[in-house]
Amino acid sequence: MAEMVKLSVNGQEVEVEAGKNLIDAVGAVGIEIPHLCYHPALGADGNCRMCLVGIEDGRPPLVPACKTPAAEGMKVQLDAEHIKKIQHDVMELELINHPTDCPICDQAGECALQDYYQKYDGQESRMTVPQVQKSKKLDFGCGVIHDQERCILCARCVRFTRQITKTGELGIVNRTDDARVTTFPGRPLNNRYALNVVDLCPVGAMTSSDFRFKQRVWFLTRDKGICHGCSKGCNIFIDHHKEKYKDDIIYRYRPFVNEQVNGYFMCDEGRMTYKKENQDRLLVAKANNAESIISSAVDSLKNSISSSNKPVFLVSPNCSLEQMYAIKKLGEAKGATVSGFSDGYILEGDGDDFLIQDDKAANRAGLELLGVDTTKEAFESAMKEADLLVNFNNDLAKSYDAAALDELIGDCKFAMVATTQDALTEKAEIAIPAASYSEYSGSVINTDNILQMFNKAVVKNEPFDDIVNIVSRIGGDVNENSAAWAGMKASVPALKDVEPEQIPEQGLALNS
Amino acid sequence: MSIKVKTIVRYGRSWQERLYLIEVFKGMACTFRHFITNFLDNSKLYVRHYPEVKPEITPRWRGRHRLTTHEDGTIKCVACYMCQTNCPAQCIQIEAGERTDGRTEKVPLKFDIDLLECIYCGYCVEACPMDAIRMDTGIFSVTATNREEMKMTIDQLRSTPGAFSEEEYKKGGA
Ligand code: SF4
Ligand code: SF4
Ligand code: SF4
Ligand code: SF4
Ligand code: FES
Repeated sequence: MAEMVKLSVNGQEVEVEAGKNLIDAVGAVGIEIPHLCYHPALGADGNCRMCLVGIEDGRPPLVPACKTPAAEGMKVQLDAEHIKKIQHDVMELELINHPTDCPICDQAGECALQDYYQKYDGQESRMTVPQVQKSKKLDFGCGVIHDQERCILCARCVRFTRQITKTGELGIVNRTDDARVTTFPGRPLNNRYALNVVDLCPVGAMTSSDFRFKQRVWFLTRDKGICHGCSKGCNIFIDHHKEKYKDDIIYRYRPFVNEQVNGYFMCDEGRMTYKKENQDRLLVAKANNAESIISSAVDSLKNSISSSNKPVFLVSPNCSLEQMYAIKKLGEAKGATVSGFSDGYILEGDGDDFLIQDDKAANRAGLELLGVDTTKEAFESAMKEADLLVNFNNDLAKSYDAAALDELIGDCKFAMVATTQDALTEKAEIAIPAASYSEYSGSVINTDNILQMFNKAVVKNEPFDDIVNIVSRIGGDVNENSAAWAGMKASVPALKDVEPEQIPEQGLALNS
Repeated sequence: MSIKVKTIVRYGRSWQERLYLIEVFKGMACTFRHFITNFLDNSKLYVRHYPEVKPEITPRWRGRHRLTTHEDGTIKCVACYMCQTNCPAQCIQIEAGERTDGRTEKVPLKFDIDLLECIYCGYCVEACPMDAIRMDTGIFSVTATNREEMKMTIDQLRSTPGAFSEEEYKKGGA
């Protein structure tokens, strides 16, 4: 527990964490100090002056809250007339040359300028001279589009490329009302985290070309989730929306703050994985190589498992812990070899020392924890004798090319429980569509052994079953996540004391 | 100033009136008298010969929508979704895209209004920051033989002209 200090804001006594700056310290107890350039991940720059507050007794009359650490006995003034006037005047200054093209600005609805205008400004423009015009719709590379007119020169984006990615592509050139953010000629943004500047930018000066004009943000439902793009398991907002007469689809992922896992950011590649949740989904079931209704595909798989002598169950390293456990139990009951072979998910050397990991699977640590064998040798030797392969959403095409895959499967019966319609599901005699990770609740363990829980976000018009339910329909004992947890607590020592309902939002570091 | 009191004569208290039957026949006689007069000569009818004779409507009338254009024919709408957001019937469906006609950046690629769902409240017109949607076409009777035809598309909305001059429309309070 951090050291606490008592100070007063507008005469009201509050207890806040010592050492933090005033914005964060009093923000934690629900008092907002308006700020534009300060961002907790980038530190204080002190350039916008929106955060000026008064401190009574023995100090300069005004201090920037972003650069002032909270101290015992401080008397912070936020609602004094002269402070209100400063906030009002800073806003007026910011808006002098602002194009206010909110109708065509993707930021509208989540824009600091709009919000602060409502709260602290609210007056008509007094400008009588023409506004300074700058460049709009500049392609900065990496899917980032910049609008120089909307920019308030807070330098968050510039500081991000200097401090976080250390690539330094962005800079501010010129002075006064001619100042603008730009890139060096012929040197656009070129790093794997570039789209974070879109989230960092408090206004609509940095927008994403992928999300551009797709949806107005106030229509979006923001649900929390875990990115399944790699084994880091970055915390995300799944921004989705169901338009009238259409299906619930995801429009974008945005990072959600989790100091223990991803901090404030996520990688661009992971951000784009939302597309896989919308597109190329397996929608129709298959039984005996022909399209069928889901229940007959399930029956057909159930019968195949019963009549098989040597079944092999292949688990995806992206499955949730609950799903892995359910599949493992079913395998034990039916005498099947359960494998988690998925070497193809690992891209050696692709990771970096920030967020991106080599392993492109979200829950390989879960496979290990549950004791599921992931070796190639064990999987291939089991396949030699197998007469049935049931693949639970493991993308084998990552590990084998087409010819090797044909050889591997041979004349063994091939069934898939899958989320994606691809060449592999094409090959399967039986295919059962399943819910993907934005559509079910579950838990995953990331590369740093942090157990994280996530909840169902997207609700499709015709939702598919979670793999846990499908496994129970084909004869498994585990029929829901709570049953899986009861079983896991009893059989896995590391999970013995874990209460799934009490896993903190920041995730639980498993000690092993 | 004293309050003016006007005493209204109450009818229906006499015994003939309370009998009802006599009054019913009196009423029937009145109806038939009108019927026969109008049957023989309908030039003095109290009602309008709709649809042959159309009513006069004012510029403030909320009729079928249209999407307005600039002088050079480019569409005024910038696909900001304000109308869609404000529509209580949720009958406007917009899809936005990149603009290429040299004005701003955003344009609607699709703009559907389902007139079966529309309640003609005019909130879309109120919400529009561009004066891009108006209900001044003077069209108040919208009919179709199937549901799909009742969905106005961007081309239909754009090609319908306004029924009033700019001055008249502005006078209407817009
Ligand atoms: S940055 Fe904010 S205020 Fe400026 S146009 Fe965009 S939404 Fe409007
Ligand atoms: S582009 Fe956005 S983040 Fe960068 S300086 Fe301008 S307002 Fe700040
Ligand atoms: S008139 Fe009312 S109901 Fe009809 S489209 Fe406009 S806002 Fe919607
Ligand atoms: S008609 Fe007006 S309110 Fe509706 S999207 Fe177009 S500009 Fe916006
Ligand atoms: S937030 Fe303190 S000066 Fe900008």
